[in-house]
Amino acid sequence: MDASAAKLLGAGIAMGVGALGPGLGLGMMIGKALESIARQPEVAGDIRTNMFIGIGVTEAVALYAFVVALILIFVA
Amino acid sequence: MNRKAKWGIFGLIALGALVLLAVLPGGAKQEFSVAEEFTLRPIINLPSLAGIDVSVNKAVVYLWVTTAVLVVLAIVVSRTITKHPGRFQYTIEVLYELARDGIVGGVMKSGKATWFPYIGAVFFFVLASNLIGLLPLPLGEHWQPAYYAATANLYVTLTLALFTFVFTHYAGIRKNGFRYFVNWAPPSAPPVLKQLIWVIHLVSEIFRLVSLSVRLFANMLAGHAILGVFFAMALIFQNYLVALMLQGGSVLIYLFEVFVAVIQAFIFAILSAVYIGGALDQEH
Repeated sequence: MDASAAKLLGAGIAMGVGALGPGLGLGMMIGKALESIARQPEVAGDIRTNMFIGIGVTEAVALYAFVVALILIFVA
Repeated sequence: MNRKAKWGIFGLIALGALVLLAVLPGGAKQEFSVAEEFTLRPIINLPSLAGIDVSVNKAVVYLWVTTAVLVVLAIVVSRTITKHPGRFQYTIEVLYELARDGIVGGVMKSGKATWFPYIGAVFFFVLASNLIGLLPLPLGEHWQPAYYAATANLYVTLTLALFTFVFTHYAGIRKNGFRYFVNWAPPSAPPVLKQLIWVIHLVSEIFRLVSLSVRLFANMLAGHAILGVFFAMALIFQNYLVALMLQGGSVLIYLFEVFVAVIQAFIFAILSAVYIGGALDQEH
């Protein structure tokens, strides 16, 4: 395997594995948020705001993987 | 002719059209590189200042456009303000209320009036910049309309994150004095653990800078890269059927990108508010 093939493979693996964890986390978090909104619709606004904060923080992990993949393809 | 036969003929015509589209020879094959869309070429060449290249490029023009749009919007809104808002004024009022009550009012306990101008300005700037990034401006390689966003540039988002970073510690030191740094570790913790927690907190403060800037940058970059790939698929596959399907898909992606643009502006502003609010009202 030459260097460029290894780079592309590494980028693909980085993105794929890197999306696993945040995907699971986002699903769990949004599911829990929906559960609590269904249980207490009167605090839906607060829950939604906090959910978006959580989404932003969790999603950033996947985007680090994306940046690593880009660095592997275009810079390394 | 009954209804079934009509539908049958219609289906046959549609199928024939699809097959025709699939077998029709496409245009000339063209190379497409996603990275090309994000390389910054100087538009106006300027002499470098103390070793720093200050040439005007795409990102700078996008920043100017964003600023101009925001300034004109603010002037127009403040001049034409009425007690019975029309559609335009109402939209701006909703956004203003979101920034004031939803973002600052929702997460900050004290210093709301002091820090609302900064948080609101960041919210509107990132929002305008993200949305302008979805309009093709004629700034491509051959002056063709092309997509780019000022926030799809790490230096722009890093500068915005640096503002939040500096203001967080400025707010904390101004309110709590030297206690601000002491309060980074809980005072009731045992001695060695306390220092360890303090160091961990220091690292997390630095990492906030990275996460805040890379989140916005990577979101906008990923969105624009996906849009670019969807548009360019027609050139790569040389097939009208694939082109038709991918153009339909790119519309959906575009709508999703509008959603992402708003959400990312919201998240950037609300995290700035959370950080500044956390520095003002420390838990310990």
